[in-house]
Amino acid sequence: MWKPASLLILTLSTITLAQSPQELVQDALQKQQAGDLAGAVPEYRQFLKIHPEATAIHSNLGAALAGLGRFEEAVAEYKIALKQAPSHTGTRLNLALAYYKMGRIAKATALLVRVHTEDSNNHQAVLLLGDCYLRMGQEKDVIRVLEPEIKTHPDDLAIAYMLGTAYIRDKQVEQGQVLVDRILRNGDSAEAHLMLGSAKMGIQDFAGARDEFAKAVALNPNLPEAHVLYAQALHLTGDSDQSIKEFKAELNADPYNFESNLQLGAMARQEQDYDEARRYFMRALKTRPGDPAVRYQLAAIALDLGKVDEARRELESLVKETPEFTEAHVSLSMAYYRLKRPADGKREREIVEKLTAEAQAKQPGAKAQ
Amino acid sequence: MNLTRRQWIWLASVFGTTQLVRGQEAFAQEPLFAEVPPSASGITWVHENAISPSHYLPEALGPGCAFLDFDNDGWMDIFLVNSGPSDFWKPTKPVRNALYKNNRDGTFTDVTEKAGVSGAYFGMGVAVGDYDNDGWPDLFVTAYGKCILYKNNHDGTFSDVTEKARLATPGWTTSAVWFDYDADGKLDLFVCSFVDYSGVKKLECGNNQLGKNYYCVPRVFKPTTSFLYHNNGDGTFTEVSKGTAIARAMGKGLGVVATDINNDGRTDFFVANDTVQNFLFVSRGPGANGRWNWEEIALQAGVGFSESGRPRSGMGVDAADLNGNGWQDLFVANVDHEMFSVYENNKDETFRDVAHANGVARSTRLLSGWGLKYFDYDNDGAIDLFLANGHPDDMIDNYSMQVKYKEPLLLFHQGEDRKLHDVSDQGGPAFQKYFAARGLAVGDFDNDGALDVLIGNNGAAPLLLKNNAAKGNNWLGLKLEGAQCNRDAIGAKIYWTAGGKKRFRLKNNGGSYLSSHDPREVLGIGTASKIDELEIHWPAPSKQIDRLTNLPLNQYVRVVENGGIREYQHAAASQHTSKAS
Repeated sequence: MWKPASLLILTLSTITLAQSPQELVQDALQKQQAGDLAGAVPEYRQFLKIHPEATAIHSNLGAALAGLGRFEEAVAEYKIALKQAPSHTGTRLNLALAYYKMGRIAKATALLVRVHTEDSNNHQAVLLLGDCYLRMGQEKDVIRVLEPEIKTHPDDLAIAYMLGTAYIRDKQVEQGQVLVDRILRNGDSAEAHLMLGSAKMGIQDFAGARDEFAKAVALNPNLPEAHVLYAQALHLTGDSDQSIKEFKAELNADPYNFESNLQLGAMARQEQDYDEARRYFMRALKTRPGDPAVRYQLAAIALDLGKVDEARRELESLVKETPEFTEAHVSLSMAYYRLKRPADGKREREIVEKLTAEAQAKQPGAKAQ
Repeated sequence: MNLTRRQWIWLASVFGTTQLVRGQEAFAQEPLFAEVPPSASGITWVHENAISPSHYLPEALGPGCAFLDFDNDGWMDIFLVNSGPSDFWKPTKPVRNALYKNNRDGTFTDVTEKAGVSGAYFGMGVAVGDYDNDGWPDLFVTAYGKCILYKNNHDGTFSDVTEKARLATPGWTTSAVWFDYDADGKLDLFVCSFVDYSGVKKLECGNNQLGKNYYCVPRVFKPTTSFLYHNNGDGTFTEVSKGTAIARAMGKGLGVVATDINNDGRTDFFVANDTVQNFLFVSRGPGANGRWNWEEIALQAGVGFSESGRPRSGMGVDAADLNGNGWQDLFVANVDHEMFSVYENNKDETFRDVAHANGVARSTRLLSGWGLKYFDYDNDGAIDLFLANGHPDDMIDNYSMQVKYKEPLLLFHQGEDRKLHDVSDQGGPAFQKYFAARGLAVGDFDNDGALDVLIGNNGAAPLLLKNNAAKGNNWLGLKLEGAQCNRDAIGAKIYWTAGGKKRFRLKNNGGSYLSSHDPREVLGIGTASKIDELEIHWPAPSKQIDRLTNLPLNQYVRVVENGGIREYQHAAASQHTSKAS
């Protein structure tokens, strides 16, 4: 749904070394612009070995990695670029986008607020910020940032949907309805239904999303991501059988679709079909090397199969990289206990309790009374 | 083809039922469990769930139910818990619990008013136990509001002794269980506390699609600590969880079972929590400063979280030696797609989930389980499983393609392969129906040796199922009576040998959801013609071992600790009409 905010074109006027680095980076740029992201990445990396100070190349590499779904690596590159050039709004927006795609909405929001402050005319930033606020249930913030936008972009359906949804959730139903009607008047396209479905997923209206995605798939079964989004909505509304069919339909079109491989692997693991699960997970890892969710699943399979030390190693690595990964702490605690390391198990268990308490404190019931 | 019922069920589970049903009309005429309608039982009480447009969560959780012999006439009576006045609901017409006396002819008479057990709060569940060791069952009723302890007056009436007993437990309590944790011969009480639902302004969860409020997922509410009450022996209790692992465990308890997971002779207990991890409290004996030493080990034991490290929506729970290896296995039911768990005991304070191997996972994937019980429904000597289900969200049908609000009952039979097989298709017409089931109790209301089932349905009439599945198999019913140990003999171990097979049962307590069961133990021996030996290991403080021989069959006996069989209670005339081939 979202594309990187900017691709930085480096003129390399300052590079006066051998011809080869310049050719290298120009070739990488051409590949990136032509969509050959996998081809661009190694060339960027090679160039950065020689010129680690090339801020724009770090940013470009981040964009290429993000395009490949390798968000953790992309984030690392964007952070280097921002450290070297803290005022670069485009890189900050790209970093925010990477966090958004990783589901780390709070981090994305913080970055987007800064981008929006520095560049209030950045349409993509404000759209993304509105979506983040909506996902976090901050309707008044959605309204605050999107009301000016709808005036300058009255035909933008994404803005109309997000703002309309925020109005409705904020009990401003009549104003919301006006915008919903505007969306519905704009023809019946697969893309429109996909967008509406995505927005509904964002506000956890899973049944509404499911119906929108069903229409999108019916109108254009070849639309990228349509099957996988439909499958997710079906799964969330309890129709696992149909969900599996849709995930598989996505894989027929795109065998390396990350989400489909991850979800089908998780379902196979739930059925204790570990070989099948591993096949899906390994394919998912090819799309997103090092993805924490996939690595966790593989570690959990190892734990299930009694390969406790193998599981421990992977889980230790995961919690080091992602300290707030509660499930990994749970499994690591269990692994330590099984390895007769109760002190370590207890330590991990205490982390689980702390993370659980923190998550509970954010629930509305903690504030309702 | 002339098959015993057990053989027929096993064959059906292996080969499918279609071809077996042909030519087996007799089974079609007599289902394994037959519904006893209100017109036949006289049980006309209906649960009031107080459903409102606001959808306050307590509306969705009841009711519990119980089999108990409140008048000690040897026949199981029935207690049903109802909602009642609360800070979010003022009934416009009288709402009360129900106590039905067994008329010994398959019918019941409502004696609630005379008994004085109508209730006063938004009732949830019931735990039956003889806390004062006077030989008469008392009632502890949990609630959103305040619990009530009804002491049995031995004359068909009860007295509310809650305040005097110091059991006026606040908040929102659900399941409770009586057991003697410190082996002093007196039943103590654990009470599950659900979420913090206090405050004037109740949280409402809007529904974006339907524009209506729906029942909030308990995740949004703060967890609470449960209560452990020590029985002081003078009619009062002292809350003793402070400073122990119980007080540190912030949960959202819905189900509890008291058992002994490590065979150390001390009673442990397993708590199913909703949206937070389950708890397994293991008794480590007397601790420092006079406190009992409890260790909470659910995570390391592998029963706290799902296999993906996530807390689930634990509701119903039970324990039994499922596979006959002498160790207690556990069960926990969750909501749809979370999968129910059959936890097999690894004998080292850890468990592994064998729900898939048992076919339980596949059968329950779309269901939400509440009341449940491990018991030997056909008296073949092996533990089976009964599950009562229903989705907590009454509007789920509007936005789920597969998951429904009302759900079917499930019956699993343990085959010769030691696995549970879904035999619900053979259960009878009740298994083709759908219920918003919550509590479930098992008890032999007609004294035929076959444990019947009572189910509390949310906002509806209870369901009473008569068990026809045990005909042809022999049995012995035990009413254990502790003398030095607690009168209900919770924690007793029973070993019996028949037909060359030695079997074991631990007298657990609690289990299911919000409900309490027939306290008698029915020992099934299949087609064996006698019980060669019966050994009862009474719990501490005596740890007396009684060996009994020359035992009768197909009737109940009262067995007293260190006193042998004191009384024969003959079964109903209709029981045991034929032997299996």
